[in-house]
Amino acid sequence: MKLRTLLLASAAAIGVAGAGAAEDYVIGVMSAQSGYLAPYDGPAYAGFQYCIDQMNAAGGLNGTTPVKLIVRDTRSDIAEGVKVVQEMIDEGAKFVVSSADADPTIAAAQITAADGIPTMTFAGTAPVLTLVGEHVFGSYPADNQQAAVLAGYARDQGFEKVWLVKSPDSAYTLGGPEYFGEAFTSLGGAVVGESSYSLNQPDFSAIVTTIQNAGDAPDLIVTWAWEPDFPALIRALRGAGVETQVMGGDVLDTPTVRGLGDVVAGTVHSSGGFPDEGSAYADFIEAFKAETGTTPDNNYYVNGCDIAHMIEQAVAAAGSTDPAAVSAAMAGIEGGKGIMSDFTFAGTDRMPLREVVIARITADGEKEFVLREAADPAILPQP
Amino acid sequence: MSDLSTHPARLKIANLVRTGLTVLVLLLVVTGLSMVLGRMGERIALQMAVNVVAVVALAIYCGNTGIVSFGHGAFLALGAYFSGILTMPAALQRSALPDLPGFLAGHELSLWVSLPVVAIAGLAFAVLTGSVIARLVGASATIATLGLLIIVHSVAIGAREITRGSQTFYGVPRVTDLAVMVGAAIVAVIIARTYRESRWGLFARAARDDSDAATALGIDTRRTRFLSWCLSGTLATLAGALYGHMLGAFSPASFYLPLVFAHVVMMIVGGTAAVSGAVVGVIAVTLLQDTVRQFEGGATVFGIALPEVFGLTTIVLGLAILLVIWARPQGLVGGFEWGPTAEARLLKGIRKATEPAPPSASVAPAQLEADGLSKSFAGVKAVANVSFQAPTGRVTGLIGPNGAGKSTLVNLLTRAYQPDDGAARIGDVDLTRVPHHKVAGFGIARSFQNLRLFRGLTAYENVLVAALASGRDRGAAASVTLRELAALDLADVAGERADNLPYGARKRLEIARALAQEPQILLLDEPAAGMNPTETEDLGDRLSEIAAARGIGILLIDHDLRFVNRLCDWIVVMNRGQLIAQGTPDDIRNDPSVIEAYIGRGRAAQTTTKPDEPTTEPKYTMGVVPS
Repeated sequence: MKLRTLLLASAAAIGVAGAGAAEDYVIGVMSAQSGYLAPYDGPAYAGFQYCIDQMNAAGGLNGTTPVKLIVRDTRSDIAEGVKVVQEMIDEGAKFVVSSADADPTIAAAQITAADGIPTMTFAGTAPVLTLVGEHVFGSYPADNQQAAVLAGYARDQGFEKVWLVKSPDSAYTLGGPEYFGEAFTSLGGAVVGESSYSLNQPDFSAIVTTIQNAGDAPDLIVTWAWEPDFPALIRALRGAGVETQVMGGDVLDTPTVRGLGDVVAGTVHSSGGFPDEGSAYADFIEAFKAETGTTPDNNYYVNGCDIAHMIEQAVAAAGSTDPAAVSAAMAGIEGGKGIMSDFTFAGTDRMPLREVVIARITADGEKEFVLREAADPAILPQP
Repeated sequence: MSDLSTHPARLKIANLVRTGLTVLVLLLVVTGLSMVLGRMGERIALQMAVNVVAVVALAIYCGNTGIVSFGHGAFLALGAYFSGILTMPAALQRSALPDLPGFLAGHELSLWVSLPVVAIAGLAFAVLTGSVIARLVGASATIATLGLLIIVHSVAIGAREITRGSQTFYGVPRVTDLAVMVGAAIVAVIIARTYRESRWGLFARAARDDSDAATALGIDTRRTRFLSWCLSGTLATLAGALYGHMLGAFSPASFYLPLVFAHVVMMIVGGTAAVSGAVVGVIAVTLLQDTVRQFEGGATVFGIALPEVFGLTTIVLGLAILLVIWARPQGLVGGFEWGPTAEARLLKGIRKATEPAPPSASVAPAQLEADGLSKSFAGVKAVANVSFQAPTGRVTGLIGPNGAGKSTLVNLLTRAYQPDDGAARIGDVDLTRVPHHKVAGFGIARSFQNLRLFRGLTAYENVLVAALASGRDRGAAASVTLRELAALDLADVAGERADNLPYGARKRLEIARALAQEPQILLLDEPAAGMNPTETEDLGDRLSEIAAARGIGILLIDHDLRFVNRLCDWIVVMNRGQLIAQGTPDDIRNDPSVIEAYIGRGRAAQTTTKPDEPTTEPKYTMGVVPS
């Protein structure tokens, strides 16, 4: 009788374990397909799904853990985001990939905090977002890393006096230039002036005039402005005859900015990666193009794919899909292998240390590689 | 036809039923969602309930004043940030908001303590902003609300110590209890419905429909807008707090134009003029959004696999809005509150009667006096040095050809225009020195040359507003209303919307509305214009009766000289802005200057030189003088 009970119990246990192993690893994906986040969430989701599909075709993460995605459109609406994250958890999500901005990521992270479900932003770069909890992760090189590398390059090139053009309307457009200023100053440079603009401001002539008439003329202008503000700013500058070197954040890494012609020639910007010939990134672009017919023309595609790699490596290190174990394993990753660049979470506040690329826009509307390096912790501005 | 005397009781019940129905619909949808869709349905219902509070708050201002506001995002932001700061765990607050001013820090209040504090802050902010915005009407008020939104948004971004600037404000305790949110939505609906049907809600809607007519009744239209704004803003601040506690994390952008537009769209889709419209709008938009959302990620319907179409929700929502605006410009609910009216068959059984007020005793003697009144428009003298009296107990006619300045004179007497010179007196009071809306308080009521009814109110409510505006309590006002409706033969149409009435009834309704103020002097500007002879005859009878019974003074302006001759004891004649004659009807009929003014010098000479013609009824008085 005892033996029979034991056998039954073992069978039940094996059955449960077997069911567990066959169970899909459910990942919830918040992806804004319209609204201000769509230009980032759309490509990021496309890249993420592409790589998850490939992994699933090979048996799942690490060949053993099939992934099931729950994808929900948030329309860039934070309330909608809150709702869909709760739905994902209801539906058994054990990992949440959140929209590419701090607001929806932090809102999502506060919900996932209860169950400690690891939550990673598609491309949010504000370093503050991981302060919410031990389960929140960035994926893209943070603003302060990009700013520090860009500032280092600028000082190496001999620039001494920077003018910062920032907008308080978003953490990105405000934080980027401020981090730059901090790093630039700690490297011996000086911030000689600052201007503020509003998002979607149509006219930058007042700012240009201020810069032109500055008592202490800058030799460098730095902004984290994006479209349509950056094109308006650079046209106003060059139109007024101000030829001062301009540097900016990774939002300038788009075909439309490069297509602006002469006015942007020589502009230098930071970026998350660069598809050098023969690199894994270049191979990814070709493979993605062949598979989907779409050319990944920005870094969000490949970063989406790298998120799949981060999750895969964290699950491998954790040896399970338990949320707490995956979070802990993710936070311990050192030198993880990615396609855009490698990533290290260990020793950070969960914004990964990744190499930052500096690129220059050429006169013929292409971008050329300048340098690739990781931020120097000594000058890394604190969030 | 219903018995008029039970109308007030039926209206009261109808209003309660309408409030109940709106609440019931909300509860049904919430229950349906929770039962059919389980937790997912609860989530949708939760978000819907929060939006109901916000949109109902918005509609308290927009619906009652007719002014669209984009400024309510400012109140939402205030509520969300303030309640967030008050309720945030102290440890988290120290790391998230290290520079928070001391008096704000470390309170760790519960939601129930925080909400009243937030409401007081919202009220204070509404009083501050309302004192400016309530001065404006129409598009300029809308622009001002937009300005408020932009200012508050900028301040929220700038006040980094308190709001974390444009960065995410996080750590707000998430209150995800469906019961709390639905309870809040129900309370919001009840507050909005109560306000709408209250004295001040009626005044606000009267001012919305016709500002001049409301002012003539003694309603301070600016004050109605101010009160609506304050209540609306306070409730919106609470809605913002609840929204913030639902999100848990937000930034100034969360309360900016996209959210404000979403709320305005919900309100317009449902119908701006009614509280049920706001609720139905939120429900309709939410259900549509969440239904379509299910198909975005690809689905199989009747065996057909649909592809992924992200953005479908936005497309369908846009189409739905276009469709509503095209097919039902007043929104799904329309311009009138949803549910039974006082005339509904359902309420026929209600027998509780309100006694009409007894015929008012003869009013105290008074005299309205024009003393040298003058007014020019762009150099043209519309009224020049006109003096006459209109005492109680007498029907004074004011006649004159088109353009003689009669209506201008009435507007001067009632302070609608400020005279260039002269005075309009009642007793010792110079009316040209009192604010426009206070003229009614001196016993003067008027009707208008062009109909100026409160279109969105019923006939009963039109008169009730006037009775309430003269300072009566609700019961006394209802009694007076019944009396005036009966006196002007409007009992059958008491529950009809004013703009659905036939022309004659509308004209009579204006008079009933003026009479409900129990004035000493009643100014009637062409009350019979456009009426057929039978209607005119009937109106004449009624006015004679009223004038005789109440002893009020009537200043009657009309083109129909037969009508004027029949009613008036004294006639004042104006031509080209000047008073050319006054006297008894007989005197006037024989006054050569009057005849000349009406039919010209040549004809006048003919008429006066034929002694054999009957002089009591000259030909020109036989009908309406051609204009």
